[in-house]
Amino acid sequence: MLKMVRFLLAVSLTALLLGACGNSSGNSSSAPTPQPDMLNGTITISGAFALYPMMTRWAEEFQKIHPGVKFDISGGGAGKGMTDALSGAVDIGMVSRAIKPAEVQQGAYYVGCVKDAVFPVVNSKNPVIDVIMANGITSDTLRKIFITGEITTWGQVVGKPDVTDEIHLYTRSDAAGASDVWAQFLGGKGQADLKGIGVNGDPGLLNAVVSDPLGIGYNNLGYAFDLSTGKLPSGAVVVPIDSNQNGTADPDEIFSTLTQASAAVANGKYPSPPGRVENLVTKGKPSGLVQTFIIWILSDGQVFVSEAGFVQLPPDQLAEALVKVK
Amino acid sequence: MRLAASDHFLQGHKKQLPGVSRIRRDRWAGRLFFVFSMVPVALALLIFVVLLYKSWPLLHTHSIWQLLTGRVWKPEEGLFGFWPFIAGTFVVTLVALILAVPPCLLTAIYLSEYAGRTLRAIMKPLLDLLAAIPSVVYGVWGIIAIVPLIQNKLIPFVHRFFGDVPFISSKNPTGFGILAASFILAIMIMPFIIAVLVEILENVPRGLKEASLAIGSTRLQTVRWAVLRGVMPGVVAGIVLGASRALGETMAVLMVVGNVVQVPHSLLDAAYPLPALIANNYGEMMSVPLYDSALMTAALILLIIILIFNIASALVLQHVLGRKWV
Repeated sequence: MLKMVRFLLAVSLTALLLGACGNSSGNSSSAPTPQPDMLNGTITISGAFALYPMMTRWAEEFQKIHPGVKFDISGGGAGKGMTDALSGAVDIGMVSRAIKPAEVQQGAYYVGCVKDAVFPVVNSKNPVIDVIMANGITSDTLRKIFITGEITTWGQVVGKPDVTDEIHLYTRSDAAGASDVWAQFLGGKGQADLKGIGVNGDPGLLNAVVSDPLGIGYNNLGYAFDLSTGKLPSGAVVVPIDSNQNGTADPDEIFSTLTQASAAVANGKYPSPPGRVENLVTKGKPSGLVQTFIIWILSDGQVFVSEAGFVQLPPDQLAEALVKVK
Repeated sequence: MRLAASDHFLQGHKKQLPGVSRIRRDRWAGRLFFVFSMVPVALALLIFVVLLYKSWPLLHTHSIWQLLTGRVWKPEEGLFGFWPFIAGTFVVTLVALILAVPPCLLTAIYLSEYAGRTLRAIMKPLLDLLAAIPSVVYGVWGIIAIVPLIQNKLIPFVHRFFGDVPFISSKNPTGFGILAASFILAIMIMPFIIAVLVEILENVPRGLKEASLAIGSTRLQTVRWAVLRGVMPGVVAGIVLGASRALGETMAVLMVVGNVVQVPHSLLDAAYPLPALIANNYGEMMSVPLYDSALMTAALILLIIILIFNIASALVLQHVLGRKWV
């Protein structure tokens, strides 16, 4: 008899546990909640490092309005976000590149939520830093560094053959939207076309450049600038891209603060790519809590975009995204 | 009298059980234990079958020989050559073993033959602690300590004195590469190898050592001529254990190995081992045709390499010992 009771107790406890797990990840708005402020549940998010700082800010603000909602946000790169969203490992995947047809076929449902860009970054103790800051680097030179590997010394970059310091080229090892966009800007197809030592993650790539005076890499807006100060991270400098190829870095091509950079992305002065739209991906059309959260991001959440140093989508694109998710 | 004793025995069990039930229980328990011991074996088989099934689309459309020996890795163009990854896996593991085995052997001999009881009591938990450090911590330590050391101290030295010595000179100007990865791996596998070696050395019959010492040998002579002679197969087993662990290590290696798809020619070149390939590109596998299949093939190759390694070493040991080795 005692055994029977124990058995039933164990079974009911297990069921309770499983049930609890199921509930927390499911949508909660279907539950009978009298007030909208009683939203609760957990939203899991993973993916692009580019969107990570923005997403943590959104989650923070959303939690202030709906204290019952919990967030579980992790990085891992655009590819991980896509794979996790499609496999159901997370509710929302952050994907910082264009969505591929093969992914839509597998059920990827996406909306653009914010704009940002990828910036070339060098160490502030670079031997030719003065020339770089005065003249800028053309996209063709960057192509010869990152894609073809024709240019291997800093002297070649600035046209001073007597400088023979080698370029230490770094790229991302994990599947990253930033790499895809950066490669496309330089005339490549995707990440596989970029040469260089592969380092894991956006912060890892920045760290590699900061600790190597001869290093060059590329970073998302949120890492090429320190979001808390709005200035360049110590030890790193954003390279001016000489877009009009006049041989000098014009004032609107030099970015030393986050505000300048995001303004250039917003008004289109900074080329696109490496500027791009950040996407939120769900498996199928979102519903319940996740839908509520995405709608909030596209409406009230836009207030925090420029505060966090990112760039808002144009109003028509925002409206389009709202229609798509509603 | 006998009856009374057995009564007493049964009363110790709270409940009196008829003999048949007891035996039946024993039989059922045996079966239950058997089922649970078979679970790991079945799981291993299942993993193998699933990997084979998932890699079939690639194995079916490409020649296996070309996959294994191909040097070009361009998934977007349908080119899957695994040789750079296989070579990278072997080289990183081999260098790690070369770095790890001599100090392990000396440490094990010292601990088992020379060290006093106190030192041994201190060393054991310390080695266990070394084994318990998560691999990502080793990776971070590699990035902040080992990579800069190689880059700023070793590489200039090599350029000056070994500029064109094969296997040492390299065009990779950064510290990320095989040496950094193997150095970290060596430290990671040391506790395992040392533990096995100490165990083996302590199992050498005491009489053998005493006989050797009694005829006037020094401790060194005893180790050299009496102890090590008999335990060579055990030493091989310890090294194999370390190698198996090194072959599959992922996180720490991918953080410092450089992740460049190439067949390495030098200690200082960057490499791209199989586990890093799988972990880095897990994200892209949903969008490029055959990519998921290729990553599963990589996993399959890794599994088969480790399997061959273990079987071969078992055969060698069997041969050396002249009997079945379990």
